[in-house]
Amino acid sequence: MRRNQSSLPDVALLAFVVLFFVFMLAPILVVVVVSFTSAGFVAFPIPGWSTKWFARIFEYRPFIDALIVSIEVAIGATLLSCLLGVPACLYLARSRAKWANAVMTFLLSPLSMPMIVIGFASLFFLSAIGIGVSFTALLIAHTVVCLPYVLRTVAGVYAGLPRSYEEAAAILGASPLAVFWHVTLPLIRPGIMAGSLFSFLTSFDNLPISYFFGSADTNTLPVVMLSYLEHQFDPSVAALSTLQLLLAVIALIVVDRIYGIDRMTVSS
Amino acid sequence: MTEFTLPIAPRRRARPLAMRSVYLIAPAALFLLFFFVLPLADNAMRSFVDEATGAFTLARYAALLTDPFYLRIMGETVLLSAGVTVISLIIGYPVAYFLVRKAGRWSALVIFLLIAPLLTSIIMRTFGWQVLFARKGLVNNLLVNQLGLLEQPLRLTNSVEITIAALVHVLVPLMVLSITSVLQGIDRRLEESAQILGANRLRTFWEVTLPLSLDGIGTGAILVFMIANGSFVTLVLLGGGLQTLPLMIYQQFNTTRDFGMASAMSMILLVIAIACLWLQLRIVRRRGA
Repeated sequence: MRRNQSSLPDVALLAFVVLFFVFMLAPILVVVVVSFTSAGFVAFPIPGWSTKWFARIFEYRPFIDALIVSIEVAIGATLLSCLLGVPACLYLARSRAKWANAVMTFLLSPLSMPMIVIGFASLFFLSAIGIGVSFTALLIAHTVVCLPYVLRTVAGVYAGLPRSYEEAAAILGASPLAVFWHVTLPLIRPGIMAGSLFSFLTSFDNLPISYFFGSADTNTLPVVMLSYLEHQFDPSVAALSTLQLLLAVIALIVVDRIYGIDRMTVSS
Repeated sequence: MTEFTLPIAPRRRARPLAMRSVYLIAPAALFLLFFFVLPLADNAMRSFVDEATGAFTLARYAALLTDPFYLRIMGETVLLSAGVTVISLIIGYPVAYFLVRKAGRWSALVIFLLIAPLLTSIIMRTFGWQVLFARKGLVNNLLVNQLGLLEQPLRLTNSVEITIAALVHVLVPLMVLSITSVLQGIDRRLEESAQILGANRLRTFWEVTLPLSLDGIGTGAILVFMIANGSFVTLVLLGGGLQTLPLMIYQQFNTTRDFGMASAMSMILLVIAIACLWLQLRIVRRRGA
């Protein structure tokens, strides 16, 4: 059915799309190249190749400390989001009630609010109730924005499952907990995995919230990178970004394997 | 538990399994009520209370809505977001069209190239723009050393244009994905009918395809506008002399330390975000109907 004739508009469109991806990839690729520079400053093209800036990351203490905080917060917020989110999905994804729809909209609404506002407001509120600037505070604030990602993917997967599996198990005498553990959980595991990955990456890359909870013990990697960039402009940030990109690409491939990239483009 | 002892499988499926108790929602709902709604309510209170006397005041909102200094900031915030949205739409629509109609077996690659940048850190992308346009960056190198057009490298990094380009770079994939999801649902027979009835390609696009994809344009535009409105990392690092609300909140927190004013500014951002969310829900509801 596909017509193979390539008319002028088609060629123009193809050229436009190629230019578009040059625009999309150029700022990312130059950072990858600069991270392998042998120069002591940021310049493009680079004068020579070296991996010294990757070594520099591991020498600069604040980067490593912040990396550990970032990983801890991202894992913590993701686990907490799953514990809170999965039960809610079990009810909301199957309910056709109007109010259930409204509740879901509410639970997803942190995604639509400016993060800088959530960060600023949370700092004052958590300080007022005595949690203040601490790891706990950071964890709570991150969970607010991670929870919607888990909810959306898990509810999406669960809503698409037929009820018959769970009903069959229940009719055959499985207790509600057994139904959940042996039937529902294995079926929604792809959704949980994908939601957890989105949640992890969201937390790991978050700056507008983490910024307000910055202290020596609670600085996350993006916060340290921002303050580093505000004072210095050297290739170590490029090396760090390149490592992060590697992590993200691996994550994307994992998501594709267990969830399917094309399913992310279908609006939920 | 009684449901499970019923000997006959229920015909109507409205009866919930016992596992599906309403209380399952409680942990998530209570968590967000306490750590999302209350902080925002607290923030609203702070914006109405005078710090020195503790009395109710509207002074901050009066200043925001009448003082030319603040009006300019709000104008720049909305204008910047609107500009980024329009540019993202103009650039994004052809890409979405290509992805749905022309990419064929390349569509997986196109989607990968669209999503991969979404997963890179905001710092990396901003840094990338700095590298491209720095004194010793790619563009200056081309202009001075390769082409010999200039004697001295230009100071390019601190410009409005590059700030806008960087924001479009971050947000245009969201626009493409929103439009793609609607274009995929358009019945191609409608376009074929138009062409059979004598419309040329341009007219078919203008009178059939484009009107049918308005929902995707709306969804994408609101999403991009909403995120552009709250973004500040790009503005902090690339500058360009733009003064927007998120940047002012950041500065109020850092240097001026006028927290009441920052709260009032947050509330304005929040109201804009809620308006966007409301519009978004209206589109989703119309699509569902």
